[in-house]
Amino acid sequence: MNKGTSLNNDASENMRRSDEPIWWGLFSAGGVCFAVFVPAAILFIALLIPAGIVGPDALRFERAHSMVFSLPGLIFIGMVICLPLFHAAHRIRHGLHDLKLGTEHLNKVATYGGAALLSVLALVGFAIGIL
Amino acid sequence: MTTKRLSIQRYLPEQGNNTPYWQDFDIPFDDSTSVLDALNYVKEELDGSLSYRWSCRMAICGSCGVMVNNTPKLGCQSFLRDYEGPVKIAPLAHFPVEKDLIIDMGLFLDHLAAVQPYLINDSRLINDSEEGTETFKQTPAQMEKYKQFAGCINCGLCYSACPQFGLNPEFLGPAALTLAHRYNLDSRDQGKKQRMPQMNREEGVWSCTFVGFCSEVCPKNVDPAAAVNQGKVESAKDMLIGIFKG
Amino acid sequence: MAKRTSYFPELKRNWWLKHPYFKKYMAREATVLPLVFFLLCLLAGLYSLLQGAESWQGWLTFMQSPLVIAVNALAFIASLFHAWTFFQLFPRVMPLRAGGRTLPPNLMVLGQWFGVVVVMVLAAWIFMRGL
Repeated sequence: MNKGTSLNNDASENMRRSDEPIWWGLFSAGGVCFAVFVPAAILFIALLIPAGIVGPDALRFERAHSMVFSLPGLIFIGMVICLPLFHAAHRIRHGLHDLKLGTEHLNKVATYGGAALLSVLALVGFAIGIL
Repeated sequence: MTTKRLSIQRYLPEQGNNTPYWQDFDIPFDDSTSVLDALNYVKEELDGSLSYRWSCRMAICGSCGVMVNNTPKLGCQSFLRDYEGPVKIAPLAHFPVEKDLIIDMGLFLDHLAAVQPYLINDSRLINDSEEGTETFKQTPAQMEKYKQFAGCINCGLCYSACPQFGLNPEFLGPAALTLAHRYNLDSRDQGKKQRMPQMNREEGVWSCTFVGFCSEVCPKNVDPAAAVNQGKVESAKDMLIGIFKG
Repeated sequence: MAKRTSYFPELKRNWWLKHPYFKKYMAREATVLPLVFFLLCLLAGLYSLLQGAESWQGWLTFMQSPLVIAVNALAFIASLFHAWTFFQLFPRVMPLRAGGRTLPPNLMVLGQWFGVVVVMVLAAWIFMRGL
């Protein structure tokens, strides 16, 4: 009955292994990317270039096209879009738990499902671009 | 001598009052007056009905934990001189309150027992040889690996600091997971295999979100948050090993 | 045995407003919200890049609108705040040992910030070369 006290480490329901290592691994990898790569990406793509501090030619069509649809572009999509998406999904899921919103299962499906969907979208976009 | 206003949360169910209420006391104090001294003053001089736990007065026994202005503290280790304005004293958060400042630590003790926080080593159980009376040997370097996590005095402050334990009392919690990690790191111990299933659970290491407040309030600087999160690395490794072994 | 009469208040969803430490924790968790906005911007950029030069120009104009720049500026600050908290956690979760000693945590934090600076310089070179 008392779940916390079962001293026999059997394979019963309350001793089930959590699948959290998978999500925590993605969260950690995404957290490193968010801390190390994303600041530079925001600074140039969303601040310096749109504000005109760095010349507008930096992101002119042909240049952006050849930069994104290349191997470095794929690495960029993985490190600056996909992994940070899973980092965000993990924090949003636990944040919902902290705020006592939703249910554990529903939150998991919505957050990780959303991150997976957007990641696939990014990779499909990349695939269309290089073909 | 100056006085300090103490607001103490009272709860006296045996008098038919099933809701807690605040009661104010003015306490004379100087630089050496601890919160525990103040509680003793209340009980001896002002209101003998006040109930609270205490013993050693020197941050060893771990029994005088209370919330001081919403932060878990050992009463003997906090001093009135450090607080501006009135001081609010309440029972440790996230535990059932039995009376006044007395909580029921049963859940915490259950969680401690669940991780088997003691040396598990069958090699010294053989009594028919001289080996059975030999002591364990350990180098200073081997001891260094777990020493930081061995300072726990089971005061429970980290459980009151942990919102994840507050949200889900089934979470094994900081102290229990820290002790599990402490024994897993001990070169004399062979019990890791028995402890990992508890740590691998959703309510094991994986309920922790590294809020980190447990480590802030720990009176012995054990850093339970670090231990729990090192436990996550161990649990992730354990899962990988399980996958490769099939 | 006497009837149990314990008092056990439930943790309310606004628990994190009761202590400055918890507010800082929630701020750390909330850093992912402006991050998600920036990631959606990038995804929109990827697909406008696929649709040709005109659509790409439209995205560049969208990125220049003051509100978008404001939210992305918030995302930039959030990424640095995240980095500041994340780098401090790393030496505690994975203490690195060299020559039988644990590396000093401050050195590990400094090393990670050095990584951020290197990425910034690299990004500057990528975006500004040939301009």
